[in-house]
Parts: sequence; structure tokens; C-alpha cells
Amino acid sequence: MKFTRPANIRTRLAIWFVVILASILIVYIAAVIIFQYVLLERQIYHDEIQDVETVEGLLYFDPQGVIHLQENYHSHPQSRLLEDRLMEIRDLSGTVLYRSETLHGQILGGASSPDEGANSYNERSTRLSDGTRVLLISHLHPIQDKLVLIRLGYSMAPLQDRMVRFFLLLLVATPIGLILAGFAGYRIAKRALLPLDIMAARAESITASNLNDRIVVEHPHDELGHMAKVLNHLLERLEQAFVQLQRFTADAAHELRTPLSSLRATGEVTLQESRTESGYRESIGSMLEETTRLNQTIDGLLLLARAEATRSDGVKTSFSLFELVDEILVLVDVLLEERHITVVQDRDDGVPALLFADRSLVRIALLNVLHNAVKFSPDHSTIRIGFSRRESDGRAYQRVCVHDSGPGVAAGEVTQVFERFFTSNSPTTSKYSGSGLGLSIAKLIVDRSGGQIFFDMSVEHGAKCCIDLPLL
Amino acid sequence: MQEKPKLGRILIVEDDRKTADALVLGLERGGYQTILARSGEEAFFLVHSKQPDLVVLDLTLPQRGGLEILAQIRAHSNTLRVLILTSHNSVDDRVTGLNAGADDYLGKPFSFPELVARVSSLLRRSTGVSERSSPLKLADLTLDAQTRTVSRSGSVIDVTTREFDLLLYLLNHRNDAVSREMLAKDVWKEVSRFTPIDNVIDVQMTRLRRKIDDPFPVKLLHTIRGVGFILREPEQ
Repeated sequence: MKFTRPANIRTRLAIWFVVILASILIVYIAAVIIFQYVLLERQIYHDEIQDVETVEGLLYFDPQGVIHLQENYHSHPQSRLLEDRLMEIRDLSGTVLYRSETLHGQILGGASSPDEGANSYNERSTRLSDGTRVLLISHLHPIQDKLVLIRLGYSMAPLQDRMVRFFLLLLVATPIGLILAGFAGYRIAKRALLPLDIMAARAESITASNLNDRIVVEHPHDELGHMAKVLNHLLERLEQAFVQLQRFTADAAHELRTPLSSLRATGEVTLQESRTESGYRESIGSMLEETTRLNQTIDGLLLLARAEATRSDGVKTSFSLFELVDEILVLVDVLLEERHITVVQDRDDGVPALLFADRSLVRIALLNVLHNAVKFSPDHSTIRIGFSRRESDGRAYQRVCVHDSGPGVAAGEVTQVFERFFTSNSPTTSKYSGSGLGLSIAKLIVDRSGGQIFFDMSVEHGAKCCIDLPLL
Repeated sequence: MQEKPKLGRILIVEDDRKTADALVLGLERGGYQTILARSGEEAFFLVHSKQPDLVVLDLTLPQRGGLEILAQIRAHSNTLRVLILTSHNSVDDRVTGLNAGADDYLGKPFSFPELVARVSSLLRRSTGVSERSSPLKLADLTLDAQTRTVSRSGSVIDVTTREFDLLLYLLNHRNDAVSREMLAKDVWKEVSRFTPIDNVIDVQMTRLRRKIDDPFPVKLLHTIRGVGFILREPEQ
């Protein structure tokens, strides 16, 4: 048989609830019945002992030596019929001296065993010939100096009957109870999950145009409230990312428009009057330079998109940071020589720093940072590259800091410098302005590699850009 | 300037009119014969009727995509050279294009000197003409790739490894302009297009010029503003 899983949580919860409740009830009913049966049986045994005591006082031998039970204590003679005790009196040889009428001539408990009744009250369970179960006790007692064996028992049939009726009653009542409980459980689950439906409906209505909408949090401290808060945080992050994207698109359009308008203006101005050949060459050359700038901006945007799309499971390899820095220094060596800039590296720990990241991306990040340092350094100055290790959240990081002696970063621009298309307003640095993407690309790459990049503002002069990258 | 012999017949498949015009003009100036197709249908017809030596193929075309045309070309001929010229410029696009049977791939916007260099390289490859052998000479400048020496007017010039590689590249492309993109890719071996090395190239070029040109009255290495550099014979 194929069991199909119900689609909604309400039904599943209700079914689970009913199944568990039913299991508990079955165990509970079984325990109650067994416990009750044992308890009542003990009670019967106790009653039988008391009855034996009573009977002992009522037995007597008549002068002919026949044993009798004195029954003249009943207030009404027919009350005798109410007694349901089963009793046999035997002498020590096993001969039955007396048998109660309730036995209807049946033997109670078979032949006597040798030491039956010797130790106060012997208890055992037996059956009459008509199949009735009897709880029987045997007791030896002297009557008028004659030792007799009293066998006294009660039928267990009424108790068993009552137990069966009790069980049947429960058998009928339990399913009804379970159905009611299941229904109630379903209602409760439905009620408890109602906020989820509301949340889902609300979340469904949120699109790009109303990303500022939030899910209503009714009870902030319960689970659903927590869920709503988590969803709201998600929406907030989405909204931020979306706003950022919109701003970025606007910025990008602006950044592309600037070289375009320069192109257009140069072309228009050039064509307004006849020029010499060198004049035309000059204009066309200038226009081509603008296209290069335009192209670089587009390449930068594409690189950002690529780094943005890079997941943590990208093409990572292990590589030496020292080697990478050396490689970059070889690349910019000609610039350093030309401007008489000295690079001093501080590698005093000497341990080769093996990083685990996308090497080509990290190379671009480091090259951008180092290139910035070269760009802003005055001639005949020194750039210091320092390496150190640090632990953070149980992970080891390699820090590399590039410290130049240029104009530095203004205190108010310490985070802005990493923003896309940021170019400083400061008059000392504005002459160096580039595409405004270099540092934001570096930051994105470092962030995506699990590290961080920042400017150390504690230095007195120059700019000190530090990158932390996770070690292998 | 004297009329050069036709170096080869090039089919240009390009739907953008301005780009197409520039390609025709530029390649014909470079000594090639050109045929222009503005759609996939036309291109397919012209490949068969005009028997070009090389196809410069745009990928986004009306009616038929460039890759479809490429597949049809490859179904008939394995010798016809195909250079894809497109704005789809990611690594994946390149791999797709090259796997489809293209011989080369150039992303838009491209530098014209690079296109010319690649076209001439592809056509050399197809006609089996070998690279210009060393020692390379231009006017009184000599470069011997075997001994890695450079001399001008008989006196040996001391150059760094990078300067040697740069000069070798310029000599291999003598009389043709080379762009910074070409130098970054071929001499500096920079794979990423966003590495800020344009000023590295400029400074390196200044230093090279200082060694091979400055001490001599006749200048060989010239900067073409907005385009790049050219190493050329002095005009008579």
C-alpha cells in the first residue's frame, strides 16, 4: 500500500497528534486494567480470609458427627441466597464433610494435597468442572477437637465480566475521544499556523517596487515572530542591495556619459572650423583616449560583476603571497625606477605565507592597492610593505599593509574610498583621479575571498592600506 | 605610398554599418581585398561564391547567428580562417567560439592595430609563410634573437629583458601600429583586461626610446596618440 503524505502541515500535525495520543492511551488502558485486576484479586483474597474466620465460628458437629454451618443469623431467611461463597470442608483423609449449595455438587479444587492448609492460608487459582475460575484458599482448623480442611473460594467470573465490560467501554470511548482530540488538534494547528499564511500572502505581494514593505510582527518573541523578523531582515538586506544596485546603475550611466560627452564635444568643436592636419590628429587622438577610458570603465564594471558572481566555491588555489607581491613589484618596477621610489618589504617572520583564494583576482586587488600607492607617492620616497599574521574567530589571516608617503586618506573618506566611482574631492589627490573603480574592485575581491581591506588611520602621514586574507 | 600587392581576400560579416565601414576601410588600407556581408544569409552565399581566405565574423547578426554560419563554414571547409569579432567577450564566450571552430577571437571594442595584426598572423598561418627570421633589421637598428643583442649603427645597446621582448614585438610588427592592449597581452602576458598597467607600458616605452632613439638623429619609435606605438622606417 502506498502511503501518500498529506500536503499541509495542519493535517500532518493533527495526524501525528492522534497517533501519539492513541499509543499513549493504549498503554495507559492496558496498565489500568492489569493494575485494577490485580488489586481487586488481592481484595477478594483478603475477603476470603475474613470469610474463613467467620465460617470457622459458624461450623459445628452435631451429635451424629455430621458437620453443619450455622445459618440462623440471617435477619431474613432468603438473604442466605445472596451468599456466593463456595466452600468445602474435608477431613484429613480427604473425605468431603460439607459442600456448599453454591457449588451445585461440583468438586472444589480436586483431591487434597498432603500438607494443604498447613501454613495458615494457602492460596491458589482453580477451575470448577463448569469452567468457572475460582480463587481458592485452604485452611486447617480444629472444630470440636477435630482437625478439618476448609476450602473456601469465590468465583472470578463477575470480576472478569466487569473488566471486560470496562475494557469494551474504553474501546468505544477512546476512538470518539481521539476523533475529538484530532479535530481539536487540527483546529489548534490551523490557528497556530494562521500567521504563516498571512506572512506568505504578505511576502508574495512584495516585489521590486515595494521592497520597503515589511511583514507585520505580532508577537516578536515567539517562533513565528522570530521568523517574521528574520524575513524582515532579509527584505532589508535585499532592499539595501537593490538600492545599491539602482545607485550603481545610475552612477555607471553617469560615468559612461562623461567620456561620451567629452567625445561628442571634441568631435563637434573640431568640425566647427577647418583645422590643420595636426589639429585634426590632435582631436582624433583625444577622442580615442576617451574611448580607452570608456573601455576601461566597462572592463572595470565587468570585473566587478565577475567578482560579484564569484561564489566561495570558485577557482581557488594555494599560492605564496610573497611570490605574488614580488611578481607585482616586477611589473611596476619600471614605474618605481623612473620615479626613484624605493620599496621596503618587512618579512621578518620569514614563514612563507600560503593563501587559499582565486589567485588572479587577488593579484588584481593587490596590484590596484600597490598601483595606488605608487600613483600617490612623491618622487624619491619610500613605500613600505609589511606582513604580519593574526587570528580572528579561530581563523588565521595574513595581513599585508602598503604604506606610502603620499597625501593620505582624509578622515571623512575612509570608507567612501572603497565605494564605486568614488574620487576624492580633496585638492591634493584630485589630480590623480582614475576610473574610481580600482579600490572598490579590490574591496569586492578581498571580501569575496573571505578577508577584509581597510585603511589604517593611525599612521601620521601617507596612506596605509591593509589587506587581511585567510591563510591556507 | 606605393600600392601594395593584395595580401588576401577577407569576407567581413558585420551588420553594424559604421563598424563595417571602418573595417572595410582599415583592412583595405592594410592591403587586403574585402567583401562585406550584412546578414547571415548574405555571408553564407558569399563564402561560396567569392572564396575568401579569411572571414571576420560578428556573432550577433540578423536572420542567422554567427555561430550557425561558423558551423556551416566548418561543415564545408577546414582551411578557411575565421576570426570572431564580437561584443560577447567573456571567457565562456571565447571558449564557445573557439570550440565551434573559430581560429581566433577578438572582443569588441577592439583596437584596430590588433585586428590587423591578428588578420595578418592568420593569413600567414594559412599560406604557410614563416615568421620573419632573425636577425631582425629596421634601418640601422638590428636585433639578434639568438644572441639577444640589440645594436644601432654598429654600436651595441644594453637593454633589459623586458625591453628586449618589447623591441622584438615591435620589430615583428614593424610599420604597423601596436596598441597598449596588444602589448599588455603579448609582451606583459596580462590576461585580465582590468589591470592598471597602461602607465607601466608608457614608462617602459619612454625608457626604450631613450636607449634606441634619443642618441640618434633619425627616430624610429613613434607614439600615435590614442592608438599606441609604431616602429617604422624613417620616411625618405
